[in-house]
Amino acid sequence: MSIDTPAPGKAKDEVTAARIKAEKMPFGRWMRVVGWRHVVAIIVVIWALFPAFYVITLAFSGGNTLSGACPPDRQGLAALTCLVPSKLSFDNFTAILTSTQWPFAVWFRNTVILATLNSFLALLMGACAAFAFSRLRFKGRRMGLLLLMLVQMFPAVLALTAIFILLQSIGEVFPPFGLRSIWGLLLVYLGGALGVNTFLMKGYFDTIPVDLDESARIDGAGHVKIFFGLIMRLALPILVVVFFVSFASTFNELPMAQQILPDPDNTTLAVGLNSLVSNPLLQQWGLMAAGGLMAAIPLLIVFAITQRSLTTGLTAGAVKG
Amino acid sequence: MAPVVLDKINKLYENGFHAVKDLSIDIADGEFLVLVGPSGCGKSTALRMVAGLEDISTGNLLIGGRRVNDVDPQGRDIAMVFQSYALYPHMSVRDNIAYGLKLRKMPKDLIEQRIAKAADMLELTPLLDRKPKQLSGGQRQRVAMGRSIVREPQVFLMDEPLSNLDAKLRVQMRAEISAVVRSLNTTTLYVTHDQTEAMTMGDRMAVMKAGVLQQLGSPTDCYDTPVNIFVAQFVGSPPMNLVVVKVEEGPNGLVLRGERSTLAIPDSVLSARPALKSYVGKTVVVGIRSEDMEDASLAKDADPLRRLAGKVTLTEALGSELVVHFTFPGTRFETADTKLIAKEGGAGDELHIGDELGIGWVASFGPRSRVRMGDDIEVVIDVERIHYFDPDTSQAIWT
Repeated sequence: MSIDTPAPGKAKDEVTAARIKAEKMPFGRWMRVVGWRHVVAIIVVIWALFPAFYVITLAFSGGNTLSGACPPDRQGLAALTCLVPSKLSFDNFTAILTSTQWPFAVWFRNTVILATLNSFLALLMGACAAFAFSRLRFKGRRMGLLLLMLVQMFPAVLALTAIFILLQSIGEVFPPFGLRSIWGLLLVYLGGALGVNTFLMKGYFDTIPVDLDESARIDGAGHVKIFFGLIMRLALPILVVVFFVSFASTFNELPMAQQILPDPDNTTLAVGLNSLVSNPLLQQWGLMAAGGLMAAIPLLIVFAITQRSLTTGLTAGAVKG
Repeated sequence: MAPVVLDKINKLYENGFHAVKDLSIDIADGEFLVLVGPSGCGKSTALRMVAGLEDISTGNLLIGGRRVNDVDPQGRDIAMVFQSYALYPHMSVRDNIAYGLKLRKMPKDLIEQRIAKAADMLELTPLLDRKPKQLSGGQRQRVAMGRSIVREPQVFLMDEPLSNLDAKLRVQMRAEISAVVRSLNTTTLYVTHDQTEAMTMGDRMAVMKAGVLQQLGSPTDCYDTPVNIFVAQFVGSPPMNLVVVKVEEGPNGLVLRGERSTLAIPDSVLSARPALKSYVGKTVVVGIRSEDMEDASLAKDADPLRRLAGKVTLTEALGSELVVHFTFPGTRFETADTKLIAKEGGAGDELHIGDELGIGWVASFGPRSRVRMGDDIEVVIDVERIHYFDPDTSQAIWT
């Protein structure tokens, strides 16, 4: 052992550790370099969460009006104290769950079915289209991509009249897919689901090295194996994103659902909850807040399941990194 | 193990680009053939056509005597190593290696056996359960090799498998790949732009330029008897030194007249290259490799007709040799090819130290040479080993 090799021992290590202990940054400098971000973040978070907090307060207040959570004697800054619920009541929840006029359970079931099926099918369709656009070379590929983009420029509501008439006609022949049926609505959603998703996924597929496909081809895999076994597997992060986005947007979609499923007996959560407050003479804000809170549960669950995959970079290490 | 025959293969893209022109190569059973050329010369396209990843526009491709133009890659019984290795990132090393075998529905115990054998050969056994991203570049390279080996294919195809490795590892893997492939005795088609790899690894090398095969032969053939200036310069490092000189009738036979020096053409060269006589009074391009030159002060007895005077612009002492860059007046030979090679060698915007006298050459002297930068030197040239090319066609002058 040479002379300058440090002798093994705990004491020596501690000395070194003590010597290199970082000096504390002065507060002014810390604020300039790091702290201001915390301040901004805190303000933004409060700004964003305020409505949600208000809804929660309202739902548990047992009251049924927008101002119900706050007695009129508290004005100005004093009104902020209303954000802390004065009493905890589940009246709004029991009311909406037991109501026969508002079949919350039916809305909930419809919406979950629609959102789940739509997300899966849109994912599959979009991925197939994206795979073709990303990996295959065919006549009209560029044109198709442009067209897909162009169609996205028009809001879906523009097609509402046409879709309404279309579904009406379909319903005359095959009622399960006509108006006032969630399957009809599913058809409409699937029709509109292709565009953005395809673009998103195509972009991601393009980042998966083509060498992998070719290597798999030489190993003996066909298109189906390459698509499901390789591309879909490696594109998991984007698939999760697309799934989550289409799940959430189906969950919240109002104008289409309102036209196609107008009856409160058999509609979606968005339409149903909206109908609670759409009558100016009878606005059930408390019920809506309670229903809205419960409606958020599936979204939260989906988010909790998917959020870990959202950040996983699976392609790392595929090629020299 | 099978012979591969490329018979007048062409690749014409839809946009009109003719990537490979009438490529004909017979690769013998068990041979290691290296396709080499500067980037964009069509060598990778040729390989991809053999693999079945690109369609063959015209011509025939035979593997083991069977025409496979219209056979899918998986039906050709080939394995390919990609430049990027193309390991499946979501699979462990073991699954990566087994993938091709599983797709071919091979029994499990046989797969295990093959994996064990390949892993043993490539020293991958302790890494089998890792994911590709947990491996170093060299290890990934070995996994890519392993994936090919376990298939026990008729032909190995390798597309610049070493170019993503650092210099030291590249030398090591070069030897490893050579050893592995030779021990398996499988026909191998290896693509590279690095002439050193081509020289050291191949049984034969095929030098390509702009889609056209220039020379096909053993590395020594291509090095010692290049068919044209492109091959002469591309094969060997540093590239062959060139100068334009005039062939004249001297008192004792033909000589090469430069601006300041005159070199003899020995009779042995004339009998090997009889066509040279027809160039009397005309110019030729002569080429000389750096190792065929020596410091005149180390070889005092040399004939004046073997000497070339010049001025040293740079010396690089490598220990085993002294690389001397020197300059002398003369006519530079420049074509698109020589520029391309200068550019490939990264010498495009070379630093020029001191006055350029027209021609810049590189010689490697013995380590005892005391030549320093700025010295006026005399260089002894091994006139037997001078290469002669026609300045118009760039072809070597033989008969």
